[in-house]
Amino acid sequence: MTGPVAQVRRRRLPGLAAQLMLWIYAAIAFGPLVLVALGSFRSNADILQRPVGLPDSLDLGNYLRAWETASVSTYFTNSILVTVGAVALCVAVSATAAYALSRWRFPGRALLAAFFLSGLMIPAKLGLLPVFYMFQSMGLIDTRLGLILLYAASGVPFSIFVIMGFMRGLPTELEEAARLDGAGEGRLFVSVALPLMRPALAVVTVFQFAPTWNDFFYPLVLLRSSDRYTIPVGLTRFFGEFATDRAALFAGLVIALVPLALIFAFATRQIISGLTAGMSR
Amino acid sequence: MFCLPALALYGLFVVVPLVTAFYYGLFRWEGIRQAEFVGLGNYGEVLTRYPLSEEIPTALWHNVLFFVGTMAIQNTIGLGLAVLLYRNPRGKRFFQTVFSLPYLISPLIVGYIWSLLLSPAFGPVNFILRTVGLESWARPWLGEPDTALPVLILVNAWQWVGGPMLIFLAALGGIPRELEEAAAMDGASAFRTFWSVRFPLLMPAVGVITVLTFIGCFNIFDLVYALGGSDGGPGGAMDVLGLLYYRTAFEGGTNAIGESSALAMMIFACVFGVSVVLERFLRRREVTL
Amino acid sequence: MFRTRRNVVAALGLLTIGLTACAPSAPESGAPSGAAQEITLDVWGWRQEDVAAYEKIFKIYEDAHPGVKVKYVPYKSTEYDTILRTGLADANGPDVAQLRSYGLLQPLVAAGSLVPLDGEVKELSAFPETVLDGARGVSDKRVYGVPFAIQTLHVIYNKTLFDKHGIAPPATWQEMTAAFDKLAAADVIPLAATVTDTWMLPIQQEIFGATTYGGQDYLKRMLAGEAKFTDRPWVDSLTTWKGTSKYWGPQFAGTSYTDAQALFTSGKAAMFPGGIWELAAFAKADPHLQLGIFNVPAAPGAAVTKTLVPGFVDGSFGASAKTPDKAAALDLIRWMASAEFGQAFSKELRQISAVPDVAPADPLLAQALTAYTADPSPYVTYAYFSGGTPTAWDLASESLSKFVLGRSTAQEAAKHVQQGVDQWFKPTQ
Repeated sequence: MTGPVAQVRRRRLPGLAAQLMLWIYAAIAFGPLVLVALGSFRSNADILQRPVGLPDSLDLGNYLRAWETASVSTYFTNSILVTVGAVALCVAVSATAAYALSRWRFPGRALLAAFFLSGLMIPAKLGLLPVFYMFQSMGLIDTRLGLILLYAASGVPFSIFVIMGFMRGLPTELEEAARLDGAGEGRLFVSVALPLMRPALAVVTVFQFAPTWNDFFYPLVLLRSSDRYTIPVGLTRFFGEFATDRAALFAGLVIALVPLALIFAFATRQIISGLTAGMSR
Repeated sequence: MFCLPALALYGLFVVVPLVTAFYYGLFRWEGIRQAEFVGLGNYGEVLTRYPLSEEIPTALWHNVLFFVGTMAIQNTIGLGLAVLLYRNPRGKRFFQTVFSLPYLISPLIVGYIWSLLLSPAFGPVNFILRTVGLESWARPWLGEPDTALPVLILVNAWQWVGGPMLIFLAALGGIPRELEEAAAMDGASAFRTFWSVRFPLLMPAVGVITVLTFIGCFNIFDLVYALGGSDGGPGGAMDVLGLLYYRTAFEGGTNAIGESSALAMMIFACVFGVSVVLERFLRRREVTL
Repeated sequence: MFRTRRNVVAALGLLTIGLTACAPSAPESGAPSGAAQEITLDVWGWRQEDVAAYEKIFKIYEDAHPGVKVKYVPYKSTEYDTILRTGLADANGPDVAQLRSYGLLQPLVAAGSLVPLDGEVKELSAFPETVLDGARGVSDKRVYGVPFAIQTLHVIYNKTLFDKHGIAPPATWQEMTAAFDKLAAADVIPLAATVTDTWMLPIQQEIFGATTYGGQDYLKRMLAGEAKFTDRPWVDSLTTWKGTSKYWGPQFAGTSYTDAQALFTSGKAAMFPGGIWELAAFAKADPHLQLGIFNVPAAPGAAVTKTLVPGFVDGSFGASAKTPDKAAALDLIRWMASAEFGQAFSKELRQISAVPDVAPADPLLAQALTAYTADPSPYVTYAYFSGGTPTAWDLASESLSKFVLGRSTAQEAAKHVQQGVDQWFKPTQ
């Protein structure tokens, strides 16, 4: 009920109350992360005595310990490889399929679309055991390729859903004009439809990126060698080892969060405008 | 054919495993060796064997509570923040970024951070409460059955509130200003304007968010696991279907594959069925509005 | 059976192509590796904190066996069982694996994932039967692993704090509670008890409640079907244990395993009820910590009058049935049953080796082992009622959590365990 109440108040105290509430929520959203960041510079004993406090000095010892134990650079490379690969593959196949589904008339079209969209409601994790045995027979266990295929596949329903929705709102004149000019379907897709769907592709990329980056369940079961671990799995290992050393844990968390935060900071504009474009169609 | 790559990928890695899980569920297993065909025997076993027979309804109920709580808290806050930002564009990008930041963190890490923050002996939350004189409010948040589930809902909302906020914000941006101005000119209060003019136009967004929230809430695993372990927190107060499946599949006995596959099929039928009905229902509402 | 399967296959139609392709298959792993080639044996385990120690231990073996490399590959403890179960299914998995004991071992035995060791490892005949119980298949009574450690359960205490408050390890229950009161009065938390990590609850119940139900004797009667969890002695043992909860510190309901460890190592709490394996972790957290151990004296109204020391077999090392280097793997496992391994294990990991006649050099370990040998008591729910589903250990973890949080009575908690176990347990006549 925050919304309406806030609105009434806003009329009386223009802007100020609203600004205040926004700042309060910003503190709630950001506070815990600040605590983690501060903790990463303090000694473990200090944290145990006083849970909240400022670091005495800029002690980088925790970071050294965390960095030495967890091969963050390896995990990071793996995460990038898997996430980028999966998202790119997913967007590519979904865009082509969504284009066909929303622009062509062919028998079974509605059924096929429903088949894809029903995937939105499938808890894909429930197929983990079969996936494991399938990977085993295909030699995909302990490979990054296996993860890429799996993530790409589980992202297909959502991506098709978003892109199809977007395509529905697009006028078809441009495509028809191109068709009259004698462009083939392949050309039409690449040079006319693809540029038009860019905002939708941005939304899909954003929405697939974070969950793929963050997933730990699949790699936990499907990967073996620690040099192929992605960041979340690498971290669980790190948690196990440093269970009682909170200072090092905090440092490890910061190390894991920084890359994402950087990506986010640089790409905020694209992300937000992608989202806005995608949702306001 | 343009659909083929997507179809192959999705069919092979999403649909086939589910069908396979159904097939697995029809057999008794000895570890990872498939033994005899038992038909629906595993389903019967899962539904009648104590304590699973009692844990299934409890876990289902917790999922329902979790869904209702998330709708009420996360999505209302999301709507509120969206309205505030829509009306006060100053610093909009900054706030959007800050509010959505937790979304980028792995749920596992979110759970981990919060369990450290909420720890009764060393956690800052209770420390802050004590420092500001709210000693009596300090409690073992994740250790008491009464507070565990609400805390789970709040932590989950903390992470995901950016989603509904962005969707609502985009939807608000799509509503023509004239409509509201007309209503305001008629002398309607801001509150009334919101409910009678704007909210109905947000219904499609509400629909999308409801379905996504439902699916998210019934698939929840990582966060609960990180906050309460695989047993689902104190006295099982946070036990949900995802954890139940995890326990049967990975901490189960000799016939774990058979039983967990049967359980997976039941969860699947439940989530899938309800999602379809919900989607239909919301779509119909959308049309009539 | 074949026909049934064919019918199903037919009914499922086209999809079977996909299905048979992804059914768990057993690829033949033959091709004995050439003698000249270097063999690397992967040993999987769940002790991430022990990697360095295992490197040292296996170095001894590598030095004596040129051409063989042994690598310890650790996984997160909570996910290990899953990973191992699936990992043993193919030749790329482990050659040798650290196996959980008792009930948790059974799915691996049933799947035929392990090589039975009777006959293969002669050294096992020197191990006591009770120790081998931890590595035995329930269905076929064969031994599948060489037990590596015996874990004993104690109250671990901070010597410095005890000295400071003039407390000695108690000889009677009254002395113990008096010591608790004294510490509590001095604003020291007497017991750092884990509550939210439910697997620690049955451990604490054994530590404080063993004397109340009577340990070994009661177990014998339970196995024969003459006594139950729901009978008075076992139910009372829960009450005995929960009776100490007023000494667990403020808001104990939220204390996690790592919280409890931190409470103890930071000196906020004076005692930690838990396994002897904690010693290594405590020493790592604070090398200056002066530690001692004692066992809980007989509680008022207990079935036995002496102090009991609960213990169990932690796990064993077994060979994967799918390893391409079976001979080398078995040779390594044979070495793991030797005194040389036992001594190195005890020294590097600061644990009690399961190899017979290996005396720990560490005085606390020696004390623990002597005490356990003199007055052993079983870890009933983990070791003996874990051969079926649901296991007494899972049931007890759940119900003790409810009990300790005041959500159920001792009677109800015991009934939960009994009702679950009744579904599969057959008493031995």
